[in-house]
Amino acid sequence: MKVDLLEMTESGGCSAKIPPSKLDEILSYLPLPVDPNILVGIDTHDDAGVYRVNDDLALVFTTDFFPPVCSDPYEFGQIAAANSISDVYAMGATPVIALNIMMFPSARLPLEAYASILRGGSDMAAEAGLRIIGGHTIEDYPPKYGLAVIGYVNPGRIITNSAAEPGDLLILTKPVGTGVILAAQRMKMAADEDVSEAKRLMKSLNRSAAEVMKTQGVKAATDITGFGLAGHALRMARAGNVTLKLDLSCLPLIGDTYRLVDDGCIPGASFRNLDFVEKDAGFSPDLDYNLKMIAMDAQTSGGILMCVKPDSALSALDDLKAAGMTASAIIGSVTAREEKHLILSD
Amino acid sequence: MLIVDTLGQKCPAPLIATKRALKECDAGDSFQVITDNKTSFDNVCRYLRDNKTEYTCLASDSTWTITVRKVEAEVISSPAEDYCLTEIPHFRKGDYIIAFSSDTMGEGDEVLGRKLMLNFIKSVRDLDDLPGSMVFYNRGVMLGIEGSETSDNLNFISQMGVKLFFCATCIEHYRPGKINGAAILSNMFEIAQAMASSSNVIKP
Repeated sequence: MKVDLLEMTESGGCSAKIPPSKLDEILSYLPLPVDPNILVGIDTHDDAGVYRVNDDLALVFTTDFFPPVCSDPYEFGQIAAANSISDVYAMGATPVIALNIMMFPSARLPLEAYASILRGGSDMAAEAGLRIIGGHTIEDYPPKYGLAVIGYVNPGRIITNSAAEPGDLLILTKPVGTGVILAAQRMKMAADEDVSEAKRLMKSLNRSAAEVMKTQGVKAATDITGFGLAGHALRMARAGNVTLKLDLSCLPLIGDTYRLVDDGCIPGASFRNLDFVEKDAGFSPDLDYNLKMIAMDAQTSGGILMCVKPDSALSALDDLKAAGMTASAIIGSVTAREEKHLILSD
Repeated sequence: MLIVDTLGQKCPAPLIATKRALKECDAGDSFQVITDNKTSFDNVCRYLRDNKTEYTCLASDSTWTITVRKVEAEVISSPAEDYCLTEIPHFRKGDYIIAFSSDTMGEGDEVLGRKLMLNFIKSVRDLDDLPGSMVFYNRGVMLGIEGSETSDNLNFISQMGVKLFFCATCIEHYRPGKINGAAILSNMFEIAQAMASSSNVIKP
């Protein structure tokens, strides 16, 4: 039996996240645990939590899981795992161990699909040098998969989303548009080569981006996922109490993303993200509407947005391109806090 | 009029269909988009509003109809169109309209003003003669924020057949978030016409 996971879900991948504005409200009601060893907690909405074990070691701990983004179970496993591990890389850490998190409808799908998803996850983990040492599965429809990952980092070398400083330049390591391309695929509007390119990007680990950040001494970064480039940039600006200015004309895009958006292929998640972003964002008066909505596009396993000092920006860019992140581009800069935390222009 | 039927379709299909119709029709033409998905309805409206395209909405049980008019440059005056909502003849309407220019009632303490306004809107439901229509401008549009108590009561009044005209420029200005689906996004001409053609305008 040929399994098509896409038939089972309406919003796959990170588009399935709870709207960011709702999440922020819910989190604000939760008590913050107090412990001097919590180096990064819930309060800054960072990519992962960080816990200090001793002066040389801190644990980076994160989880992510979501419904299918593609038809093939093996590829889905790879993409979900790459996405889960990405948060560890975004903190400048090395992934070490992980647990599988799986929801699977065993009455509706053959167990081979279950095995394929896990195999995809396991192969991706092996590529990252990560050991999967257990997991948990429950019955649920549609299927969902991801990892809970622990990474190691030296407490003095943590990369957070709150360390952006005025003067920094912003580099994005992957082109944007997975949400648009996946929606277009459902609508049978996407070109095959764009779908394969989106899948290739979602399966590519942010490992080399993390290595470049270490060699270039980057202190601030975040990975771009469900809240879109604008949503994650805004969180970074808030956490660091600065303003991020993005020049969307420099934004690298996957294939035909722009034309698809111009045809109205704007996923629902983009409007949710716009609701979250616009209160705290300024838009240049003639900002192209399509580019604005692309900045809201929910990414699955997206790239790293890193803050780089101007004198090392070009060498960081060279390193990233040499490491295979060929679409990497400088897409904006950090300034002292202005009235709005985020400014989008083109 | 061209009907774009998107019943049963989910995001972004209704928006794609709307965009296609907008591209294909000529300036001055109108068409209707029908959807049974609330999120798609909200997103299409949001898209039209962001792109300054003239539209009106009509909500019934679980379908939404958006009438879109392709305009060139300046806004052409559109007569208050005869979209009867789910009008229930049982409710009698008086020859007056209510204009809301603020989300508070009277001057003085703001908290009290809000409370009074909610009570006023609740009372409208129980009037012997309902208003012909209700218009909302300036901070008055805040009364339509979806999920608020005033909005829930306005929804009820709209189901009794009273049209709710909301100033689109004001919503654009305050960007208050989602507005009640029963609201008819309107321009100043429509609002002025509604006020001029009624014998009495009540301003709470």
